[in-house]
Amino acid sequence: MTEFLAAAIRIATPLLLAALGGILSERAGVFAVGLEGMMLAGAFAATIGAWAGGSAAAGIGLALAGGAVIGLAVAVVAVRWRADNMVTGLAANILALGLTSYLLRVAAGGGGRPASIHLPLLGPWPIPVLADLPVVGKLLFAQPPLTYLALLGCVAFTLFLGRTQAGLALCATGENPEAAFAAGADPLRVRMLAVIACGAVAGLGGAVLSLQQVGTFTDGMTGGRGYLALASLIVGRWTPFGAAAACLVFGAAEAFELRLQTFGVPVSSYIVQMAPYLIALAVLAVLGRSARLPAAIGRPLEQ
Amino acid sequence: MSGPVSSLPAGGVARAPLRLRLATDRLAVRILLAVALSMLGAALLIALSGHGPLTAFAAMAVGAAGSAHQIGAALNRTTPYLLAGSGVALCFRAGIINIGAEGQIAVGGIGAVAVALATPAGMPPLLAILAALLGGALAGAAWAAVATAIHIGRHVHEVLATLLLNFVAVLLVQQALAGPLGQFGAGFLQSPLLPRAIWLPRLPLIEAHPGFLIALAVAAALSFVLWRTRFGFALRVAGASRPAAAYAGFSLARLTWGVMLLAGALAGLAGGIEVLGVQRRLIEGFSLGFGFKAVTVALLGALEPLAVVPAALFVGLLEAGALSMQRQIGVPSALVAVIEGLTMMFVLAATVRRA
Repeated sequence: MTEFLAAAIRIATPLLLAALGGILSERAGVFAVGLEGMMLAGAFAATIGAWAGGSAAAGIGLALAGGAVIGLAVAVVAVRWRADNMVTGLAANILALGLTSYLLRVAAGGGGRPASIHLPLLGPWPIPVLADLPVVGKLLFAQPPLTYLALLGCVAFTLFLGRTQAGLALCATGENPEAAFAAGADPLRVRMLAVIACGAVAGLGGAVLSLQQVGTFTDGMTGGRGYLALASLIVGRWTPFGAAAACLVFGAAEAFELRLQTFGVPVSSYIVQMAPYLIALAVLAVLGRSARLPAAIGRPLEQ
Repeated sequence: MSGPVSSLPAGGVARAPLRLRLATDRLAVRILLAVALSMLGAALLIALSGHGPLTAFAAMAVGAAGSAHQIGAALNRTTPYLLAGSGVALCFRAGIINIGAEGQIAVGGIGAVAVALATPAGMPPLLAILAALLGGALAGAAWAAVATAIHIGRHVHEVLATLLLNFVAVLLVQQALAGPLGQFGAGFLQSPLLPRAIWLPRLPLIEAHPGFLIALAVAAALSFVLWRTRFGFALRVAGASRPAAAYAGFSLARLTWGVMLLAGALAGLAGGIEVLGVQRRLIEGFSLGFGFKAVTVALLGALEPLAVVPAALFVGLLEAGALSMQRQIGVPSALVAVIEGLTMMFVLAATVRRA
């Protein structure tokens, strides 16, 4: 059981970081369809940073930057130039997929072959005393660093959105940009910054995959996790802890599928793999109209 | 919740129907500029890899259109993008952001292969092919219907409904191949090879299958529908302003159903043609990336079905040429995805309706 929960947390971590980024973007009024590309750019930049810079810290730093670059591209096209949010996000995902695959081959490969990079995985950092607690100790207090960051991020983002001037300005921009403007905020600036920050945080989610779980970068390694993160932040109703709960449910579904495989249960793994998507659809369908989006989401700013 | 795609033109209601409406708007100029910019970006990336951009582009051009065989291969690549893309264009015109082509193509492949494998051996080939393609189209429409039912019935945003169903559809292909449609003992997920009689024939001279001609006819028909029929008019009004469409008495739900089923059937047909004409069996992941490219060509074609033809050709030729560029001079073919992504970003930025 502990192992099962540990697997669920492991799978949920990259989703959660991406979802936290997505919350910033969507609460500011910009659909976060580009999460997949931001994660992928983060995973790639983390790998290159850790490989070229020789330390995980360099990888994490570059992951923030890599995700932010995609965030910047989305911000310029969707916010500054007022293009459709969703389609811009899709375009950013294609661009990130192409760029990372191309650069992986150019950076260290040759003749169209990808570079082969193998990184040591970021190991767990057990917290003294707490890590020795039964069950919870191993689950919550003996995790690799980025997992702690994701958990702390939930607390920090909740406080930021609800208790700080900047956070309130961000939410106001997503609900009613005209009112936010009247109250002295600059909606254009707020949205641009929110989307760029979204990219950076989602980039960390990608770094979890490459630095903490796989140890290298492969083409399209996010494999739809960005879209799953998008679903989880909606299912979690645009709140950090809600999104965390949704990510854990998706993580549990995938962990369950892995278990079924190891025990040779005669249930098709493909059907079980559909679970996260079907759960997300079901929750969205049940919420229906009551899934209240930020009021001004997707609406371009009037100048 | 879903406003019209703000970045795209909605007007042109009363203009001459058979003229491409691009020139009037300088829209074509902007789109070509966007393509030029993204090619410039690609050139920089090629230079970064230590190769000459011109040499690389030349290798790409020769790879795409250097021989009849290569032109045929490029046309075959273009076909699914054109079919699915012109359907997507119609949806976007109505302000319905259908990004479910990927799943609809995948399920269309299942439908076509299921029918093809169930066809009795004595059936006349033409009839068997038509039945399989019809199976693909119906399956694609059915998959679009699922998304539409969730969207309209439960007010789930169509982007989320179609997007999530894409992932389910791809897994559905794997499930079908692991089960009833699979070839036992093949080692990987694929269906048995389809009977030779049911393969799409090759056109004379070029190695293309007739799917491209079907796609051309579809694009022309959709352009007619969009500009010359009540349904097309309603689509354009709904895309320009939902309240106006409702005020004019058009049922938004019926419009959405109509255009989604149409786009789903076309994507399903694209899946069927791909399976019967190129793969000749159902393979895991055969539809990978097709759906998003359908969106790319729809935007690149300014949501005008006839203009989606050159847009789809551009992407099809690019992809066919890139593989040979990688073989010839070693520039990674992943460059194509960069060009597609950049083009899409630039087109989005360049075609925004200024307030």
